[in-house]
Parts: sequence; structure tokens; C-alpha cells
Amino acid sequence: MNRRSFKGYAYLAPVLVIMLVFTAYPLVKAIFMSFCENYSIINGSYKGINLENYKDLFDDKLFIRALGNTTLYVAFVVPLSVVISLIIANLLNSHIKFQGLFQTLYFLPYVTSVIAIGVVWRWIMNSNYGLLNYILGFFGIGPIGWLSDPKYSMTSLIIFAVWKSLAFNIMIFLAALQGISPDLYAAARVDSTPRLRVFFKITVPAMMPIIAYAFIMGIINAFKVYNEVFSLFNSKAGPVNNEAITIVYYIYDQFYNNYKYGIAAAGSVVLFLLIMLFTMIQRLPGRIKAKKEAAQK
Amino acid sequence: MKMKRFMALAMATVMGASLLTACGGSGGTTSTTTAAATEAATTAAAETTAAASGETAAETTAAAAEKTIEPTTITFWHGMNNKQEQSLTELTEKFNAENEYGITVELVNQGSYSDLQTKLMANAAADTLPDIAQAYNNYFTDYVDKVVALDDFVANDYPDWDDILESYRTENSEYGKITGVPFNKSTYLFFYNKTMFDELGLEAPKTWDDLQHIGEVILEKKGLAAIGYDSMCDMLEAALRQHGEQYVDETGALFNTAGGLETLEFIMNMYNSGYARLVGEDNYFSDSLSNGMIGGYVGSSTGVSYISTDIEGKEFELGVCPVVGDKTNAAYNAGTNIVMFAKDENNQKAAWEYMKFMTSKESTIKWAMDTGYLPVRTSAYESDEYQQFMAGDITAQAAYEQAPYGFVSKASFTGSNEIRNVVSTTLNELITEKADAQTALDTLVAEINDVLQ
Repeated sequence: MNRRSFKGYAYLAPVLVIMLVFTAYPLVKAIFMSFCENYSIINGSYKGINLENYKDLFDDKLFIRALGNTTLYVAFVVPLSVVISLIIANLLNSHIKFQGLFQTLYFLPYVTSVIAIGVVWRWIMNSNYGLLNYILGFFGIGPIGWLSDPKYSMTSLIIFAVWKSLAFNIMIFLAALQGISPDLYAAARVDSTPRLRVFFKITVPAMMPIIAYAFIMGIINAFKVYNEVFSLFNSKAGPVNNEAITIVYYIYDQFYNNYKYGIAAAGSVVLFLLIMLFTMIQRLPGRIKAKKEAAQK
Repeated sequence: MKMKRFMALAMATVMGASLLTACGGSGGTTSTTTAAATEAATTAAAETTAAASGETAAETTAAAAEKTIEPTTITFWHGMNNKQEQSLTELTEKFNAENEYGITVELVNQGSYSDLQTKLMANAAADTLPDIAQAYNNYFTDYVDKVVALDDFVANDYPDWDDILESYRTENSEYGKITGVPFNKSTYLFFYNKTMFDELGLEAPKTWDDLQHIGEVILEKKGLAAIGYDSMCDMLEAALRQHGEQYVDETGALFNTAGGLETLEFIMNMYNSGYARLVGEDNYFSDSLSNGMIGGYVGSSTGVSYISTDIEGKEFELGVCPVVGDKTNAAYNAGTNIVMFAKDENNQKAAWEYMKFMTSKESTIKWAMDTGYLPVRTSAYESDEYQQFMAGDITAQAAYEQAPYGFVSKASFTGSNEIRNVVSTTLNELITEKADAQTALDTLVAEINDVLQ
């Protein structure tokens, strides 16, 4: 190690130490815990090192449901949120009146506590006195037990989560939109290109990297969903019997309510592997493209 | 390129890792702060003890009966809010001002019960528990060895332990040692819309048959459910006991019997016929009752403050009565105890002074009158002051009426907390599916035994 790189590491040392203590150590510890049968968080004792926790985990129908729900959640929330935010960001970027006001309004959910938003949505979705059912009533629909009927639990959760995640996506998309060169649009105007064509041929391709980023971040975050469930169903995971349970909710429940630390750790390891797998898959297209380009050169 | 790929992978790893640590995260931060606080407190205490040890050592033999407690600060973690917290603060300030040993009790609000429970657990793991805390027995099934046994204190230095209501004494001795003193105690009562009952010629129920009759009439005349239960697992245990059956212990479900089936027949019939309903999205029935959307419900005596009888156009008179029995009477008692974790001997003694003070006749009366919780002493119930208060408070009257047959659910075994959750959710599901009694019984027994296997 030469002098210069030593200096570099010295600068990095504080953050490295913090990451080692608060990220790397718990990570290793959690992986270790997941292999300990009957692990006790109180005194660190365990019965043996084996795969018992993983066996229990996959034998638990609640965990299987959590896996299914989380997959469903990721599959709907992320694409819906990206598409809707893309449309809204474009509308906000066109020269409308009160642009600043709208931008603030759309960004509000991002800076508001999920718990507070959950309280509001619980009222909106209340089957007896909720706003949503009131509006649907004009169209002769309902009343629907959004939060009381187990059939609708996941639907309600997804609607809530899409709305909640719009804000962040809109913000980054707006920033990306403003980075697109106006010359491109000017050229399109000269050719009197239809607006839809402009959107798909200029706007979307120019925004591709940021859309990909929104997808990756969205999927990682969606896999870790917990707050949304907790706040929408008022500290439960569904109206009757955990209909909207997600992986993280399951982990929390096992750890803090059922005192099954090993199983909770095994659940987090499974989730970790899932997220890693999805992130790797998502990066594949980019990597293939890069290889192709390299080959062409 | 390589570097970029590594960075991406590293980023994903960190993201995943931050999730893995999320569980311990909140606990971690609290433990560091409390660790520092406790350390400071113990050092301070140690110093004073060291300074005074010369004289005390000589005196202990001479005056064994006389207590020596060095001035110290005791930390008390609680989950009381609003007027309950206010009353707790008043009592504690009184103790701090009046005790002769220079003990200061510092109250630390930990939020809700579930916050308190998780923080206690995290701090038990980090070995940084507070001196005393509010706790249910099922909080510490995993770390009961960290709870100070109070048997000696009770035997040598407690005025009239037998004056404490029997169900509370039993609860606090469940682990084979005395683990706490009863503190904020409540009981489940039947709250009902008296105006509606009068209009339909109904009276407060006294038996299961009465409940069924009330259910039939209200459903027929009003199209409403007559009864709801805020807590499903407590409802089941109370019903089983009322029918002379047992519920659960560490060996598993005890109600796989003819009587258990009869109990579930009664329960499932109430729900399947529409006489009773689940709470749904409201969480507590107090809102439903306030809005005239249910005839009555069984809920905690402290929940009465959440019932509004004066919503415009929906005004009604509130009725309260003891929960009904069947073969026998059984009323579910809830509420936490104060338990001690202090390790330092001086702090233990100091904490005990506070625990004695909080459960004294005088304090428990004030506490009950301020908050709507129940006195923990028979003598407090019988005092003129409380009797006077009770005369103007129908909830307190009903609670007093059923005090002799109150019970507390057994919680001193691993899995007790999980069973509470499993029984509630399973019952919810069975009721939603309109299951028959036999299916309900089999499913519940299987789910409970599955937890304990």
C-alpha cells in the first residue's frame, strides 16, 4: 500500500468502521442466527446448528402467504407506480398554470409520515363512512369492504402503496425530463411529429437510465414493504387473519411477538437472497448491451 | 466496468443488510443511550455506597430492622399516555418529594404497550433493562431470570399482601416466584345502548340465554348485531371458564372436550346467526356503539372514555353490567404489573419502596379515581372515598360487582404470546368462513398445539 492510498483509506475509515459495526456485523450475525435451532436473543444460547429454521420457515403457511403477497405487491406496485408517475411527470413538465403548486402537491406524500397517511387512508377506505365508497356509490358500485373484507386486502394495499410511491418517482422523472435537450423537441416540432410519437421516440429513450433506476429502487423497496401494511391495517396484517402479510411483517412478527428469533433470521436471509437475485436479473439487459457494444468496437 | 458492477452489488448488499439490521435497529439505539444512563446511575450509586459503606457495615448488625437506602435514581419504563400518564406523574412526584431516603423515580414513556414490549426485549438482550417497568407476564417468558424475585420483599416488608385481590396475587406468582406488584388493572365489562334496550323491552343480560335472546330481538327489530368482543382470544377463554372448562396451559389446548364443543357451539351460533359480529376495520367497538351500529359489546373498563353518547342524532344512555356467566361466573382481568430488573441491591431496595407506595391503599384509590383503572386492594374498594366515587360511576360499580370472580390468563410459558395472536386470528377466520362448532374446535386446538409443539 503506498502512501497515497493509505491516506485515502484513512479518510474512509470512519464510515468503514460504522458500516462494519452496524451493517456487516449484524448481517453476519443474522446469517449465523438463521442456522441456530431455538436461538435465544437473551443469552445467545442455541440447541444446535442445522437447517431447522429454514425447514420451519417453509413449513409455515403464513410465510408462504407472505412470499406470495410480497411477489404480488412487487409485480403490481412497481410497474404501476413507474407508468403513472411517468405520465404525471410529463403533464407537470408541460407549461401549465400553477406548475409549482402541483409539483408541491404531488411531492407531499413523500415527506409525510406513512403512519399519518395510513390514518387518512383508513378513513378514505372505511366501508361505512369512507370517501372512496361514497364516490363509488355515485356509479352504483359498492359499498366495498376495502379494509374489512379479506378479498380486497391486497387490492387496497396495492392502491395505497402505488399512491404512496408516486411522489418519489415523479420527482426523479421531473428532474430527468428537464435534462433532455430542448433541441430534440424543437426538431420534432419542425417535422410536426405527433405528440405521442415524441413521447415514445424522444422522451422515453432519453429517460431510460432513470426509468431503470426507478425500477431497481422500486423493486428493492417493494420487497421490504412493512410500514404500508402496518399503517393501513392499524398495526395488523389484514382484517381477519393476516391476509396482507408481507415478508418483513412476518419477520417482525416472528421476532418481536412470537420470540422466534432464528426463524425471523432465516426469513431475512431468504429475503436478502430474493432481493439480490432480482437485482442481478435486472442488471442483465444492461450487461448484455454493454458486451455487444464492446464486441462491435 | 468491473468496479461498477462491484459497486452495484455492494449497494444491493447494503440495502439488504440494512433490512436485516432493521429488527435490531431501534433496540440498538435505545440500548446505547440507556446503557450510558444506567452506567452513570450505577457509578453514582456505587460512589455513594462506597462512601457510606464504612458506617453502614457497622450499623447493619446493630439495627437490622432499620432500613438503609442510599439516595439513588430509579428508572421506570411505562406505556401510559394522556390522563393516565398525568396521574402517574403526579403520584411519582409525590413519592419523590415525600420519601425519606432521597429516592428519585424517573419516568420514561416508551409509547404504547407493544413499543414497551419490544424495547424491553431488546434491552433484555443487551442487558440494559431499566430498574422497573410495566409488564404483562407474557413479555418476559424468555427472560424471567432477569426479573427480580420479590418473595423476600413481600414477606418482610409489605403491609398486608393478602389485601391485594386474589387474582392479582395469583398472576404475580405464576412463575413460581413473585415477579411483580399489580398496577394498572382493568376488567372486561358489557357496555350497551340502554336506550335501545329499553325501547325493545330488553334488560341487562345475566345468562348466555339472555345474550342469545338479546341477539335475536335486536337483529329482528333493528337489523343490527347485538354483541361484539374487543378481544377474541380473551372472549374465548372467558367463555370456556364460564362453561366450567379450561383453556390453555404449557401442554397445549385443554378444551378438546364435550364442554369445549358446547362452548364453541354457543359462540359460533352467535356469530353465524348474526347476533354477534367482528370488529372489522374499527379495531374497537366503542366507535360502533357511539354510532348506534351495535347493541352492545364486551370491552375493557378503561375503554369507557372512548364511548361518546352525545353524537348528534345518535344520543343514547349508556348501560354497563358485568359479563354474563353460564355454569359459573368468570370475568377476564387485564392490565400490567410493575416488575423489577434492578441489579444493584440499593436500587432494588429503593425500587421496592416505590412499588410499595404505588400499591398502597391511598395511591391505588387515587390512581383508580383519576384513570378509571381498578383499585388493586380490597380495602381500597371498601374505603369510603372509593365507595363514594363508585356511587356516581356505573363502570366502577359493574367492575366491583364482578371483582370476586375475576381471572387472569396464564401467561408464564413459552408461546403464550403467540397463542394469543393465533387464537384471535384463527377465530376471526373461522367466523368469517361461518365454520361449524366442530370445525372451529378442531382448528383452534390444532393451531394452539402447533405453537407449543
